[in-house]
Amino acid sequence: MFFDLPFEIPYLLTLLLVLPLVGAVATLAMGGERQKYAKYVAGAFSGITMVLSIMLLFVPDLAVYNESYPWIETAGIRMSYILTVDGLSILMVFLTGILVFLSTVFSAREHDRPHYFFALILAMEVGLMGVYMAADYFLFYVMWEVTLIPMYFMISWFGGPRRHYAAIKFFIYTHVASLVMLIGIFAIVFGAAGGGIADFSFEAVLAGSAAFSSTFQTLVFGLLFFGFAVKMPIVPFHTWLPDAHTEAPTAGSVLLAGVMLKMGSYGIIRVCLELLPEGAQAWQTTMVFIGILAMIYGAYACIAQKDLKKMVAFSSISHMGMVMISMACLSDIGIQFAVFQMFAHGLISAVLFMVAGATGHNIGTREIPLLGGLAGKVPVLAAFMMFGFLASLGLPGLVGFWAEFGIIFSFYEYTISIDMIWLIAFCLISLLLTAGYYLWAMQRSMFGRLTEKIDLSHIHDLSRPEVIALGATCALIALFGLWPDLALGFIKEYASSLALSLGVV
Amino acid sequence: MFVEYTWLVPLVPMLCFVIIGFFGKKMPHGGGPLAIFGAMFAFLISALISYEFFTSAAYSSPGYVTEQITWFSIGSFDINIGYYVDSLACLMMLFASFISTLIFIYSIGYMHNEGVKRRRYFAEVSLFLTGMLGLAVSSNFLEMFVFWEAMGLCSYLLIGFWSFTHPNGDDASDNAASAAKKAFLVTRLGDVCLMGGMFVLMYEFGSLDYTAVFDTAAMASVDPNMLMLGSLLIFGGVIGKSAQFPLLDWLPDAMAGPTTVSALIHAATMVKAGVYLVARCFPLFAQNPEVMLFVGVIGGITAFFAATMALNNMNIKKVLAYSTLSQLGYMFLALGAGGYMMALGLQSGDSALIAAGAVGYTAGCLHMANHAFFKALLFLGSGSVIHATGTEDMREMGGLHSKMKITSITMLIGSLSIAGFPLFSGFWSKEIVLEVAMHAGDYGAEGYLFLVLWILAIITAFMTAFYMFRMWFMTFKGKPGHGAEHCHGESPKSMTIPLIILSVFAAALGCIILFGFDDYVTIGIHAGQFQVGSGHGHGFMGWLEDIFLSAYTYLTVALVLIAIGVAYVMYSKMSINPGKFNKDGNSLLYKALSNRWWFPRLYDQIGWKMGYGVAKGVEFVDTQVIDGTVNALSSAVAGSGDSMSKVQTGNVRDYASVVVIGIVVLFAVMLLLFYFMGGA
Amino acid sequence: MIPIEVYLVFAAVLFAIGAYGVMVKSNTIVVLMCIELMLNAANINFIVFSAFTTDVLGQVFVIMTISVAAAEVAVGIAILLNAYKLKNTTEADSLTSMRW
Repeated sequence: MFFDLPFEIPYLLTLLLVLPLVGAVATLAMGGERQKYAKYVAGAFSGITMVLSIMLLFVPDLAVYNESYPWIETAGIRMSYILTVDGLSILMVFLTGILVFLSTVFSAREHDRPHYFFALILAMEVGLMGVYMAADYFLFYVMWEVTLIPMYFMISWFGGPRRHYAAIKFFIYTHVASLVMLIGIFAIVFGAAGGGIADFSFEAVLAGSAAFSSTFQTLVFGLLFFGFAVKMPIVPFHTWLPDAHTEAPTAGSVLLAGVMLKMGSYGIIRVCLELLPEGAQAWQTTMVFIGILAMIYGAYACIAQKDLKKMVAFSSISHMGMVMISMACLSDIGIQFAVFQMFAHGLISAVLFMVAGATGHNIGTREIPLLGGLAGKVPVLAAFMMFGFLASLGLPGLVGFWAEFGIIFSFYEYTISIDMIWLIAFCLISLLLTAGYYLWAMQRSMFGRLTEKIDLSHIHDLSRPEVIALGATCALIALFGLWPDLALGFIKEYASSLALSLGVV
Repeated sequence: MFVEYTWLVPLVPMLCFVIIGFFGKKMPHGGGPLAIFGAMFAFLISALISYEFFTSAAYSSPGYVTEQITWFSIGSFDINIGYYVDSLACLMMLFASFISTLIFIYSIGYMHNEGVKRRRYFAEVSLFLTGMLGLAVSSNFLEMFVFWEAMGLCSYLLIGFWSFTHPNGDDASDNAASAAKKAFLVTRLGDVCLMGGMFVLMYEFGSLDYTAVFDTAAMASVDPNMLMLGSLLIFGGVIGKSAQFPLLDWLPDAMAGPTTVSALIHAATMVKAGVYLVARCFPLFAQNPEVMLFVGVIGGITAFFAATMALNNMNIKKVLAYSTLSQLGYMFLALGAGGYMMALGLQSGDSALIAAGAVGYTAGCLHMANHAFFKALLFLGSGSVIHATGTEDMREMGGLHSKMKITSITMLIGSLSIAGFPLFSGFWSKEIVLEVAMHAGDYGAEGYLFLVLWILAIITAFMTAFYMFRMWFMTFKGKPGHGAEHCHGESPKSMTIPLIILSVFAAALGCIILFGFDDYVTIGIHAGQFQVGSGHGHGFMGWLEDIFLSAYTYLTVALVLIAIGVAYVMYSKMSINPGKFNKDGNSLLYKALSNRWWFPRLYDQIGWKMGYGVAKGVEFVDTQVIDGTVNALSSAVAGSGDSMSKVQTGNVRDYASVVVIGIVVLFAVMLLLFYFMGGA
Repeated sequence: MIPIEVYLVFAAVLFAIGAYGVMVKSNTIVVLMCIELMLNAANINFIVFSAFTTDVLGQVFVIMTISVAAAEVAVGIAILLNAYKLKNTTEADSLTSMRW
């Protein structure tokens, strides 16, 4: 990085974990009369966490901040509290810090039980930070589950009319998947221990992974991959996502799409690819197929959607399909840009869900056929919507384009290597479809004839906190779009070393 | 000393965009003067750069100046950002910034009534100018693509400038929104092809820098099939951006935007980006005669088809749009024919053929520059007319000559120029284009195709003259229509002065071919490398001989004069009723033309079926099949739970009975176990 | 000396009567009393085994059981009183609100 942090912050990683936790408790305490101050408490805690996560980017040597303490030790099992941040996770931690704060800002107008609302956001941050920083499979799994619960309550307490259905669907889907993942984790941990003490730390499992036979790798890769991929999500296990998004409050959607979906792809890279290179080879074709399916299927599903938020949700599926393709290439470019796309999509989908949420909130409906010609009434909202759509459809100069460009290029290399260059056409078609559904939605909702189907008297443009949150996210999208190296630099080293261990460079 | 500051050329309009975007509301004219300043500044720098580039001996040996820094890297592939200046880039910079300056000045008058919307307008045109100038000076394909897409975005935004709260009502808003979307999507189709082409190049060459890709040794070492694939994909992008056959349909619709936008983006500059890209990739395309043949054929077909569609259109802007398409087709015809000859020459090592090919390059670029001026002039002129009459329908105009003298005369000059009237700009370039096309017909196995295209091109020249003068006579002569009666005289000075300046260029610019244009804008091989601006033009007398000693020149001129005469008779004197030839608009041909050969309907059908049709299917699968299964599973679980829960009667005695029965059963099991396992 | 079987059969009969009462009687007071019967049947077994094995642990358990039974009756009666207040009856058959 061009600027090094001149001082060390002791226990930085633990702070990133503990601050939101303390914040959640403090916010929860702001019930009753003090409700209206809940947002300030939440904002302060998530703000400090964000500042720390930004400072993390400027740390010259991340290894200094590794923390490791024994946690549960019995005769046969050793579980530890280990936190690390490396090239793969640093952007995700940064993204979590940013998006949690911005979604807190965005929801500043929340009046319904704000202390619960903001406490849930902060509780979610604990889990998210934990997943991305944990370097122990047990801690990782615990944190993985921790993210689930606040999200469940977020949807079922603050959601739309079908919130209970959506919340339970979300919970069961992801929980079943994570149980499958847990079996996979046990398999790798005990497999790596080989009869000795089962050490759950990443390091120990990685050291023991050399002994994995290729059949074992293939089987366990399947288990873990399923567990992670449902979270991403993959077709046909994706239907929880549109429902969860449609019903979740805006802040919930932002975090769900922006950071939680990335847990799936993060897990695949962190666990599946790092530990099971032969399994990855065996599953490569399947992963490519799944990725292409998700990409095209998601894009087509978007065209047919009537709810703006549901459309954006399906576009997430489509874009996460790109991540899948990119990972499946098993090359350094593929991994580098998979992570970059995760980051880019995190920022972009945040804008998209904020816009979709604001549309529902400020205009009164998100049904595209009911909207129309509103750009004159809500110019700021329309401008942000345009920006978000353009960023998502991959306009060069914004962050999404570089991610897609790198991904398709890595996929191109892969198709050349298997002599099926025509596969690249799927990626290009999906780019075209993406442009198609966004512009069509834009045309129907904001341009053209002014709608007469809704009451126009209550429409109001974005409020100040909403503009701040959206503006900051858009600024980041433009910043990383004009200077992609700012983010790519972090991933580069990790990606090439991982690709080396995968045997494909 | 100026060339090092080339990066300022796109940067200054970019800054203007940012400033106007944020603060334009408080500026006079919505930031217009700042936009003009940006464009003017860009023009001045471009002029200085060009002057230095053309005069300094230091730059003449490799024929270009380039400087770049690493932007980021994709694996081991470095993506650079920098500038690349050669004669072609200078030409683009000069005419793009100059015409933009004039159009921005004109916009102050034209957009006078738009109020706060002017901020958006001026911000977007500044961004557009950034794109255009950046494209011209980019040093590699990816950087070029960024600007290419930025222009596409601005085109989308500006076509849709009135896509909501249109002054003419909701239908016009709908129309603008749909046209903007169509323009973006159709060009996007080309752009994804261009992206595909870039992947091919990046993989094969290991870099996207112009210097690396156009290296003769590198091109020779690459698999020719991949080279051809890459070239064709890149040309796919060109087809989209320059609205060539079969993706030509978006441009006429794009006329829904303000006329200044049509003049700037859809006539003078953006659609030229495709021509620029083909000229830029000339070394690459010339590796395969087939690619160049394809370029030429697409160009020739577009020139012809677009001209036919202009013949009976009543909308003044759409006539100009079709003529833009048609003239762009000419440029591709020239480049294709020249490239075809050059490719054959490269294969056989025939340097005369290579030199003949270079003429095609020169012709294409000259026509591009000429067309930029006269088409900008014509569009601005039509804008002036529309501003005055409030309609775009030529039937409602007529007899405006006496009311709008300046507009009328400048448009006459533009029409003469585009029609190829002798000694006007268009004449020179069009004659060379035709000559090259004919010349290319003599070579190679597929050369006869160029003869066919040449004949089409001559017919197109006839049609061009006819429809342009049909437009001019219908607008300025003949009987005044509805709109003409509304007209309250000439447009303001901010609009007429640009018209006058442009008309001077539209009339005389073509002459630069006699004064050494082809010394600079041409392509040849020097020291084994392709070089733009090789410095061996035909010279003043050479061109005069070329053009005036050829019988075909007189044939074309005669056809043009006849066409003008026919138009005069039909639309000014009105002694022949054009309705006689088309059964008053009921003949099949007339319908085909007014339905644009049914292209739009075809595209709508394809787009609708491939997009929405499939999407409906996917939606069905998603909600019914996948989600149906999920919900069925969950309701199966819930249902069996429900029926099992009936066991809970709430009656204490039932529970007690169950407990006792359970104990008895357990006891029995225990006894049986003891009995069979021989326990105590 | 009375053989141990007599005590055990007596306790079993007592338990069976209690169980029968719990299952058949609808008056909850009777049900409670029957539960007491069953508990006491178990107590008898404890005592008997304790006496025959001379291990006092059994008697300790009985003390324990008696105190638990006392507490249980207290809770049970309290529930019944409340149920009576609410529903005006203590018939088990009409206290079936905890069903599906």
